[in-house]
Amino acid sequence: MRTILLVAADEWRFWRRSRLAMLALGLLLVLVAASATLTALRVANEAEARALLQSEAEETYRSQPDRHPHRMVHYGHYVFRTPPPLAMIDPGVDPVTGQSIFLEGHRQNAAMFADAKTGATAGQLADMSPAVVLSLFAPLLLIAMGYSVMTRERENGTLGPLLAQGVSPLTLIAGKGLALASVAGLTLLPLVLTAAVAISKGETLAATAVFLGSFSLYLLVWCALIIAVSSLSARRASSLTILVVVWILLVLIVPRIAANVAASVAPAQGKIEADFAVLNELRSMGDGHNAADPAFEQLKANLLLQYDVASVEDLPVNFRGIVAETAEADLTAVLNRFAEERMATEVRQVSLLRSFGWISPALALREASMTSAGTGVEAHHKFLRDAEAVRFDFVQGLNRVHAEQLAYADDIKRSSDPEAERRTRVSSENWKVLEDFHFVPPPSDTRVEGALAPLARLGAWFALLFGLVLFSARGLKL
Amino acid sequence: MTVVSSLFRELSFLLRQRAIAGLLVLALLLSSLSISTGLTEIAHQRAAIERMVLADKADRENAMAKAEDWGGAAYSSFHLTYLPPSDLAFAALGQRDLSPWKHRVNLLALEGQIHAADTANPELALAGRIDFAFIVSVLAPLLVILLLHDLRAGERAAGRHDLLIATAGRSGGLWPMRASALVATLAVCLLLPFWVGAALAGTQLAKVLAVSLLVCVHLLFWAAVSYWAGARAAAGSVILTGLVGFWLLLTAILPAITRVSIERAISIPAGGDIVLTQREVVNDAWDLPKNVTMEAFVARHPEWENEAQIDRPFEWKWYYAFQQVGDQSAETLSTSYRQGILERDRAASLAAFVSPPVLIDRTLQGLAGTDTRAALAYETTVRDFHARLRTWLYPKLFLEEPFDRAALSDLPAYQPLVVDE
Repeated sequence: MRTILLVAADEWRFWRRSRLAMLALGLLLVLVAASATLTALRVANEAEARALLQSEAEETYRSQPDRHPHRMVHYGHYVFRTPPPLAMIDPGVDPVTGQSIFLEGHRQNAAMFADAKTGATAGQLADMSPAVVLSLFAPLLLIAMGYSVMTRERENGTLGPLLAQGVSPLTLIAGKGLALASVAGLTLLPLVLTAAVAISKGETLAATAVFLGSFSLYLLVWCALIIAVSSLSARRASSLTILVVVWILLVLIVPRIAANVAASVAPAQGKIEADFAVLNELRSMGDGHNAADPAFEQLKANLLLQYDVASVEDLPVNFRGIVAETAEADLTAVLNRFAEERMATEVRQVSLLRSFGWISPALALREASMTSAGTGVEAHHKFLRDAEAVRFDFVQGLNRVHAEQLAYADDIKRSSDPEAERRTRVSSENWKVLEDFHFVPPPSDTRVEGALAPLARLGAWFALLFGLVLFSARGLKL
Repeated sequence: MTVVSSLFRELSFLLRQRAIAGLLVLALLLSSLSISTGLTEIAHQRAAIERMVLADKADRENAMAKAEDWGGAAYSSFHLTYLPPSDLAFAALGQRDLSPWKHRVNLLALEGQIHAADTANPELALAGRIDFAFIVSVLAPLLVILLLHDLRAGERAAGRHDLLIATAGRSGGLWPMRASALVATLAVCLLLPFWVGAALAGTQLAKVLAVSLLVCVHLLFWAAVSYWAGARAAAGSVILTGLVGFWLLLTAILPAITRVSIERAISIPAGGDIVLTQREVVNDAWDLPKNVTMEAFVARHPEWENEAQIDRPFEWKWYYAFQQVGDQSAETLSTSYRQGILERDRAASLAAFVSPPVLIDRTLQGLAGTDTRAALAYETTVRDFHARLRTWLYPKLFLEEPFDRAALSDLPAYQPLVVDE
């Protein structure tokens, strides 16, 4: 053990004397720290701004004057997706998805206002969250500092004497590995600090541990890869070239190829195109604004029978309200079926994309970190479902008011008779029942569970490379 | 002729090195992949547009067949608008993953409709696409660096450096010759698939030439940097580390810094405020005296001043008037929103001069009509179209023309922006 520490300390001594190594280390640390600070500030601001917009939206809804309840169905309501605490490190899909949805009767609107649309376009690598810096560029630093850990000893002719002194190849490799892992640990430091802030903002320990654990495991995969290549290469130059090419392939190329493959193997229709099919299906159903629509004949007959009256005018409830309520429920069933289909297609695409995590540890890390942080596509889908639940609740609540608090006789005359119109305005007390909305990502347990698959991929990578390191150690006999 | 023949001599010598041949094959493969997936993606988009145009027409005709008055017809008929991909879009997919390139609008207030984002799967958009612009702007520099960094250091390490200098006659001729041979071959490997793709897509020759020139200039820049660095008497690995660091600086760090500073310096109104403002005005109209709405409307449309009297609790002309007034109320916010995006883009185009990879990426998107400007130009066509629809509808409502279903066929049709001039 002492020897391992000595070897590691010796490696650090070498790095401290190398201006290039120190420059690279310093640069990356500044990069991680700057990106962590900026992203944390931005996300915290966003969270605050959206929470404010949310409470404003609720406030204005509740303070609407007396009105016909169906007017409130169309007045609608807004929900905003507030980012979870770990979004300070990995904002995930937040910038590329709309952050608010307008909720109204008879429609499921798409999310609006994606940040990415308003951003300054500056090339294809300009988006730097701490998660991106760590997954894309930390491996480059490890390569720059570690490509020569073994080849240097070999080329300088110091490997023989070391082994001759009784240092076993495994001890040597363990020491070098420890030194490299300590560099990795250093780059993780800003993340740990930010994660502590996330915990103070209500993130669970389990999710944070898995989140940080996936980054650690990812960097360990790179450490193992670097040591293996460095031990197996004859020369420093070839070890570095191989590592740079591997980095290009695993980090820059494979994730993008995966996205291309996923998009073309499981093509998804856009919402507009998918909506044509929805419209087609809805056309065969009754229009909830028109109680005379033949589609509601059966409903009418049932109601008349149920209350034992001869005409809709005699019903104790407002037939128009009942029609609105029934039509909304039927329509929502159709909308939800199509929405679930769309989400299922997206999940299919994403799981195809993620299966490339077996080939690229960078993809596996992205999945693990977004899933555990609650900023992946699942969390966005939860937002869509939560928003739909809010929509359905408030619309049906209003339709209930429409059915129970309004006289049918007034309701049918409101477009022509100002007095009847006045009587159809119900008390604004009815708007106060709107519930507060605050988006929370999927529960911690679900996120942790979801991160297990990508963690297993990273684990498989590590096990494979660890085996390769052990194998390369056998070749170090001199 | 001696130059060409010595170029070929150096090339055939270099290609015998497995690493170099491997990198060139990789360049050819990745470029071909980017072109073929780019072509597929654009074909998907064109096919989707074709299907949507048909479905849109059928749906509108269906809605109109049921309409019983002008107002109802305008309410229930939606119109597809879209930005068709250009003949170069396959090479630079650009903002088409992020900015909407299709909307379906009706005659209600436009601000409530135009900000909807019908974009692709967010996690795929986040992973990015491997388009030709990515290959050229991000990857090509790394390939140049890998090919050129140890031209000399490699020979030095192999102990052949001095011998080569001595036998080559003029020492100045050998290394530039080798470097040129490598860069020229790399350029061909990258551009060949692009030329094939351009031929398949029927891209204008001028654009093909412009892209080819850009690619060559970009490669030359990185070749010059690598050549200069490679001339130092340092180990190949040290040179490579430095060059990759320089690449990182130009491709990722500087762009990230400019992006953050631009976004902090030029603020944009919160999108949520635009739609909230618009909604308040549209909905408040129901509770306001009708003449308040009509006065605000007439201020913009004095030609309807004499017809702006509303007598019944509900009239279509009042309904569409408050939709228009809703848009008017959000106009300032909405304009400064678009203005802000444009200003950020302008600042980014200036800042791009510090980073050749960003400059190339942005220029390719510009040529391909897939940049922010094109997205905004498309949005303008939607706004103009919506305005034409309103101009068509207002006389029908205000002059109380009797409803004539046949006249609905005169509705203005959306003309997509022609990106290939």
